[in-house]
Amino acid sequence: MLRNVRKHAVFYVMLALPVSYFLVFKYGPLVNAQIAFKDFSPLDGVWKSPWIGLGNFLTFFSSIYFWELLRNTIGLSLGKLLLGLPLAVILAIALNESALRRFRRIVQTITYLPHFLSWVVMYGVLLLLLSPDEGLLNAVIKAAGGQPIGFLYTPKWYPVVVILSDVWKEVGWSAIIYLAAITGIDPGLYEAAEVEGASRLQRIRFITLPGILDVVITIGLLRLGNVLDAGFHQIFVTYSVPVYSVGDIIDTWVYRQGVLDFQFSLATAVGLFKGCIGLALVLSFNRLAKRYTDSSLF
Amino acid sequence: MRKAIVLALFATFLVVGAMGAGAQAKLVDIDLWALGAVTEAGNPPDNWVGYQIIRDKLGINLHLVLEPSTPTDQDTKISVAAAANSLPDVFGVNRDMLMKIAKAGLVAQVDSLLPKMPMRTKIHYNDPVRTKLVQISGKMYGLPDPGAMDRVEGVVIRKDWLDKLGLKAPKTLDEFMAVAKAFTEKDPDGNGQNDTYGFGAFYESTGLSSAGFGRRFDCILGAFGVAGMWNLDSAAKFQFNFRDPNFRKAVEFIKRMNDEKVMDPTWSAPNKDEFRARWKQGKFGIMWEQFAALHTQANYKDFDKNFPNGEWVPIMPPVGPQAKSSNGIDIAQARIYAVSAKAMKAGKGDAIARLLEWMASDEGYYLCGFGVEGVNYKKDAKGFISFDGIAPELAYTHKSQQPITQLRNMVYINNDIELAVRYPTYKSQNGKTMDPLATWKFFKNSPYTESTGAGLIDPPSNANDFKRYYDENLIKFALGQQPLNDQTWADFMRGMDSLGAKDIEKAAKAKLIDAGLLD
Repeated sequence: MLRNVRKHAVFYVMLALPVSYFLVFKYGPLVNAQIAFKDFSPLDGVWKSPWIGLGNFLTFFSSIYFWELLRNTIGLSLGKLLLGLPLAVILAIALNESALRRFRRIVQTITYLPHFLSWVVMYGVLLLLLSPDEGLLNAVIKAAGGQPIGFLYTPKWYPVVVILSDVWKEVGWSAIIYLAAITGIDPGLYEAAEVEGASRLQRIRFITLPGILDVVITIGLLRLGNVLDAGFHQIFVTYSVPVYSVGDIIDTWVYRQGVLDFQFSLATAVGLFKGCIGLALVLSFNRLAKRYTDSSLF
Repeated sequence: MRKAIVLALFATFLVVGAMGAGAQAKLVDIDLWALGAVTEAGNPPDNWVGYQIIRDKLGINLHLVLEPSTPTDQDTKISVAAAANSLPDVFGVNRDMLMKIAKAGLVAQVDSLLPKMPMRTKIHYNDPVRTKLVQISGKMYGLPDPGAMDRVEGVVIRKDWLDKLGLKAPKTLDEFMAVAKAFTEKDPDGNGQNDTYGFGAFYESTGLSSAGFGRRFDCILGAFGVAGMWNLDSAAKFQFNFRDPNFRKAVEFIKRMNDEKVMDPTWSAPNKDEFRARWKQGKFGIMWEQFAALHTQANYKDFDKNFPNGEWVPIMPPVGPQAKSSNGIDIAQARIYAVSAKAMKAGKGDAIARLLEWMASDEGYYLCGFGVEGVNYKKDAKGFISFDGIAPELAYTHKSQQPITQLRNMVYINNDIELAVRYPTYKSQNGKTMDPLATWKFFKNSPYTESTGAGLIDPPSNANDFKRYYDENLIKFALGQQPLNDQTWADFMRGMDSLGAKDIEKAAKAKLIDAGLLD
């Protein structure tokens, strides 16, 4: 084995960096997760703080907002996934099918540019678009004789704004990976299909989509594992009291209750709960994917 | 001979070097996280003369970090540092957070420091109520500097709009509503468009004492006798204000303002900057605003530019059905600095006391508060500040000089010297004399609700759920997102009790009686 390692030393050195990253930043800190079961005191530190069993978990589960937080978190997260994923695939296919290279590049740049904007900047853009008084969209509504809508302050509209703005921000960036997957499809398949008289839509349906299905499933599974991460930054920047009932998610609750109320054990317990649910979801969906599509993560 | 000279020189170097090292060793490193005056302006430059004086005269190597500008972000920074047991030696902290980290044993008792800084104690820590804000079981866990000035906010109205519509300033709630309606519907700015509102506000609620609609609605709640979170009239009447039937009437009034669309529709959003941009754009004609945010030259100039003949004037808060009125609550407040237990254990207490005492001396006060005399300001015989002969770009008030007075809130005590220079009179575009302090004096003489003890009430452990439930329900009632009737109001009250409202009242009452602030 040592001989083998020596033979491929360069590759092992390359591997060392990401492995170290995961060890130091992902696995190492797991030791501190024990404070989820403790009454953490900074003076006593992680190891000496007293054990309290499942008390922190029970505090979270017994919060009057528990079910609401869970519903909002999963709802917003799934909304983003169910709308964002197909749109990213469609955008990737559309870009791939475009014969105008220059146009394709411009569209690609424009669509993935919002990914690099912070949510603070995006909030400013949303205000310019959606403000009841001066927002562009409300100007159109008013011009058409309608009443202005407080999109960011109305429970009915807020989830829509959250999902659509996230899709707008991320769809271009997400499309890149599907675009890469499409370029990996054997061009001979398209040529053969063209010779056989397949239309463009038929080529997409029978060559492109099956060709990228593995990637779509993998990405979908990974996203499902993070279904309890509904986008802290986005919600934190955009939510307000009138829309707490539909916008408050687990992470924003943890921020308020854990960090601002100085209850770090509680915050860690909720983080652990999220991690366990995420793991269970990934394992379940991986099994389902294996059974029905022959594609899976492992 | 040459050898002897070389040896002598070498010995001299050794001695001088050792002396230098000795002097260096005497320096105490102090990490200070300060509540900066203008955080976005950045730290004082490395060559700030204050660092040198503090090093030379006090033997302190000061490492200064400015905390974020908003209370929530300050809390986040302190909370995270506390959790890692890496609080700085001295730090500015909000009271609620101080109580939490002090109970966790991370903050030092500071009673022993007071005799070591007699001048500062006399000038800064002389108020018994402020002292109670930082005490746990009679021991001080923070140093309570004088807070912001009192009674700085109140109701103001666009006088030019009143004149244009031939209206008088409202005195009662009914008149208030009528004027707000006229401002909304009768085109008071005369631009031919239906683009104005009567009343403007935003959701300004940062702690339990300002929960609910937030402070911008204090003048409405005050008209019903329920300004603030608590009824502190007497021990017998002590309770949450929401239990008072008049509180529901106040909520109904705010709901009516919303339903009749006389309020700027952004009122329920927590956006102070947006709110201030909107009054400067002439979007509404009545608001509850802080006098300096309204009338100092820097803050007024955009409004003045947009509306040279526009005029905001203070008015008395509206009088309600039972002849009550209030512009808000008088609450105990302070700018608190705390010393970490770690720093005290490391023996830094004396150095910290030395630093704070120096800041209260004439040298420290003027240097931290106004910059370098003759360069950034001039001082007359009575100590008053002027800028005669000072280049405008070097005046300490100039934007480029803001970093050198970042510590001014650690030395200011709201005396006449500060008020005169912070709020000078000036001329508006149409030649009118603007006097911000006159607006403040008007507010000072307006009715306020005595609520000193509210500042001492500790938040419950579920403060966030409690406050969220309270705020959310009130705003939903007012916005019409949930019906406001006997049933829903009873449900709301039951919900508050299920979150521990009765226990909070009981604990608060005991604490206030113990502190001698309720009888």
